[in-house]
Amino acid sequence: MTEAEAISLFKCLADKSRLQILKSLAVEDMYVERLAERLGLTASTVSFHLKKLSDAGAVTACKDQYYMMYSLNKEMFQTSILDILKQESDEAQQQAQRDADYQKRVIDAFFEYGRLKSIPAQRKKERIVLEVIAEAFDFDRMYSEREVNIIIADFHDDFCTIRRDMVGEGLLGRSGNGMEYWRMKND
Amino acid sequence: MNEQQRKFESYLDEQIAACKQRSKLLAEDDRTDEGNFEKVRANVYEIFKTILSVAERVCGTDDLAKRSFFLQKAEQIPASWAASYEKARQNGDVEKTHIERMKLDTIQEIKDMCTQIWEETT
Repeated sequence: MTEAEAISLFKCLADKSRLQILKSLAVEDMYVERLAERLGLTASTVSFHLKKLSDAGAVTACKDQYYMMYSLNKEMFQTSILDILKQESDEAQQQAQRDADYQKRVIDAFFEYGRLKSIPAQRKKERIVLEVIAEAFDFDRMYSEREVNIIIADFHDDFCTIRRDMVGEGLLGRSGNGMEYWRMKND
Repeated sequence: MNEQQRKFESYLDEQIAACKQRSKLLAEDDRTDEGNFEKVRANVYEIFKTILSVAERVCGTDDLAKRSFFLQKAEQIPASWAASYEKARQNGDVEKTHIERMKLDTIQEIKDMCTQIWEETT
């Protein structure tokens, strides 16, 4: 389902009468007059709503003898809202580009020749800086605290703060006894 | 203003108030489109309430002339609605068809009531 289709569907569903029509069609297929009788609406009002639902892909129609029979488009309603939210869109690409531009600006501002000039006070910016430092760690490898400190010291002298914050941000994992560290994988 | 005209004006006022009330209730009940249809109906009643007051100004105390003026406008004005309805129907524009049909039904109801009131009291 495209973003435009999702918006059209949600707009269409934000109406009690149309929701009642869909509830009726979830029980069984119906024609206009039967729906009108059942919902206490005029046939032309029901036709109006059915057209909107049909345009949004929520119902389908087929001719049954003299009547137009309407059915719920069950396939559409099996789509989860999460699937719709995960759908790529132009807006998502633009957002990703804006995020990338922002990250680059932060990195350019806080790093000089690969060294961190200062630890950002803003958490959002610090997260970006810590992600850059995390790149220096391999996945699927255990590090001692000393090894971690040496790697971080290449970026900044305050390796204690950075090490602790990297654990806090979920970029590094730490064993219960604090002896071993590893790079965490992002979902 | 004579008795028929008072009665007719009061009928139009009642219909306007009823449409507005239904529109409000429908909107509160999350039936926005149907609420908007009631606003359209209220508009039609309001147009013909204005026509009635124009008839009063134009025709003065001549009751027959007033009624004739009103009914003439009630034929002329909806002609464009009927054309618009037919065009929408031919193009499968269900929303427009519904709205134009509703306006035509409302004006028919107004004309019937006009005739009824004038016949009752003459």
